[in-house]
Amino acid sequence: MMQKIIVINSIATEKNSNRIFSLAILLTVMLLISSQALAHHVLGRPAYSLNEDSNTPPSMEVETQIGDYYITYMVFPAFPKPGESGRINVYASRIDNGDSFDGKITFLVRNNGWFEDKNEEVIGTQEMYDGVFRQGFLFKEKGSYIITAKFESGGEPYTIDFPLQIGESSSMGPVGISLAVIVIALIVVNIIQRKRIMREKIRNTRDEME
Amino acid sequence: MTHPGLPLLWATIIWIFMLALALWALFSKANLNQAAKHVVLANLRPIRPLAKYMAEHQWPLQLLKIITVMFFLLVIYSGLEGTQIPQRNIATVLTWNLWWAGLIISVFFLGSAWCAICPWDTLASWIIRPKLWLKNKINNSLELTPPRWMRNVLPALLMFTGLTWLELGVGVTTSPYATALLSLLMVVLATLFLAIYRNRAFCHYICPVGRTIGFYAQLAPVELRPVDASKCAECTSLECFNGTATVDACPTQLVMGRLQQNTYCTSCGNCLQSCPEQNVFWRLRPQSTEAMYGARPHWDEAWFMLALLALTSFHGITMMEFWESWISQLARKIGDSGQLLMSFSVGLVISMLLPALIYMLSVYIFQRASGTREKFGRLFTGLVFISLPLAFSYHLAHNLNHMIRESVGASQLFYNPLGIDAKPVDASETILREYHMLISQDVLFVIQALLMMAGFWIAIRVLKHRAYKLVPDARWSLLSMIAFIMGVNGFNVWMLTQPMIMRVGALCVAPAG
Repeated sequence: MMQKIIVINSIATEKNSNRIFSLAILLTVMLLISSQALAHHVLGRPAYSLNEDSNTPPSMEVETQIGDYYITYMVFPAFPKPGESGRINVYASRIDNGDSFDGKITFLVRNNGWFEDKNEEVIGTQEMYDGVFRQGFLFKEKGSYIITAKFESGGEPYTIDFPLQIGESSSMGPVGISLAVIVIALIVVNIIQRKRIMREKIRNTRDEME
Repeated sequence: MTHPGLPLLWATIIWIFMLALALWALFSKANLNQAAKHVVLANLRPIRPLAKYMAEHQWPLQLLKIITVMFFLLVIYSGLEGTQIPQRNIATVLTWNLWWAGLIISVFFLGSAWCAICPWDTLASWIIRPKLWLKNKINNSLELTPPRWMRNVLPALLMFTGLTWLELGVGVTTSPYATALLSLLMVVLATLFLAIYRNRAFCHYICPVGRTIGFYAQLAPVELRPVDASKCAECTSLECFNGTATVDACPTQLVMGRLQQNTYCTSCGNCLQSCPEQNVFWRLRPQSTEAMYGARPHWDEAWFMLALLALTSFHGITMMEFWESWISQLARKIGDSGQLLMSFSVGLVISMLLPALIYMLSVYIFQRASGTREKFGRLFTGLVFISLPLAFSYHLAHNLNHMIRESVGASQLFYNPLGIDAKPVDASETILREYHMLISQDVLFVIQALLMMAGFWIAIRVLKHRAYKLVPDARWSLLSMIAFIMGVNGFNVWMLTQPMIMRVGALCVAPAG
């Protein structure tokens, strides 16, 4: 699977060029914190938003709560395509006092398809910069993946899984399953009805003979 | 982004109205001999030709069915293939903002009319009993009798609770893909039940939407009933129940001559077309009639009505800002993580049990205070009809808020139903939508306030009628039941005064306040 993924080194070291961007991220985090109660209505569900600069592609973000932490992860762009580089930002702040987690977060990836190889592979381990853990990615093939972010705090392991769809998802699965269920039901019903009719005929014949 | 709540002035007016009405209810006696007036629609001169034409021809209904099926298939296709930005995909907007919110409003005017054109049942019928005009010739159904355990509304109650869990806990409303999956699931279920059981077992016992509509339809101003009850009393052929050579039997096995409540009527109009005497037609009636006199008490239905009351308020609670911090605190206590579904489920169960327990306590106090010899069960099932207007009025007021504020610009989605290349809604657009509501905010507040007052008024009327019938000298002992009605309605009014989080629009990251 590593062939599919080219890990882009953390961009945290490019301090000067990213200063303005970091400030924007900080502002976004502050807005997120201030509107946490609103966004939590759909806790764990992806939300899509435009940045202040609407020329940039939309981003996806998901908020969730795990142990002592509120976790927010953002994916840029919201709908990454194969061969297109993207980035995951993770924010982890304590629920009790709002302090950011300042350790290291390891990012892993595995396939999410039903019949795919489920082996996990490490994308990278990142440190916090300006309250954000940033991890770059680039997938060469379309598919459904699970990204896992792992860290330890207070001796407790924390694991956050989130799905990442690269390219278009296939709609044939659900439609196919629904049609298959209905067709099987129709076949079973028809077999039972034929048996019923046969039984009825046999009974009638028996009655006539008697 | 939140919606502003009902102004305090309106809440105060409702509270004063409630207090005045409660006092009136305590000091006045019920008129048990009051007869409900009905108007047969076919006798109303301006609409007589249209009503007769609609009753005699099947094509208008079939056309409506085809239209709803087309929209339904569009929802599935858009949900699976379109953008996953919920505000830009027609699947989520049409299902949750327009249909789900508008459905309850439609009951207010048309009763269970939706069931007659429901795409789940239509698609299932086309697969299992294909026909377009006349009675179906092909029948792929085993026609088994549903098992005894299924022949009540508790399966529908379970489904309704499950739907609420999916809607508010899992967040199906914010996912076009999940919305499409849920739509497919409902069609599969409807088809399987039609393939196995006789008539419409799915509509009758399982469908959460149909039963919700059915119970609310007790408060609808329309009913399908005999024009002349004496003709039905003499009828022995029961075409309405059995069907004819060209018209199917009643899908929920109702006999028109004995029909007292709308709960299981799917408004399909089969009875209207099969009656050889043309003795069945739509009638207009006062909205409180059925809950006051007609509907008969049953255990399973009593629990459904209480659940309806609890779940409508629960919808409101989950859209309050305090809900998130409650669930967050609960999650930390029980070690819940991720989407906090366990904490949500605990909240859901508590929210369902609490109103039921308070209701039981109120009935118990009423029983003790009145000194009646009536059994608790009889009082429990007999008085539970008060919960219907309370649930319905809040549901309407709540849904109106969603529909009026969140459906702005929905028509644009028909130009790009899949939301191809559409960008998420930003904060400025969300705020802009608030300024372009379908009706003005003040008018919305007036309608909401009137609905809450009407709900309370009907609940008090239902209580007086039902209670005095069970306990003729009830009077002061009604205090506990009036307190229950005031408590529930008062809480719902309070919820309406609070800022409410948007259903689909909650996804926008917007500055607080």
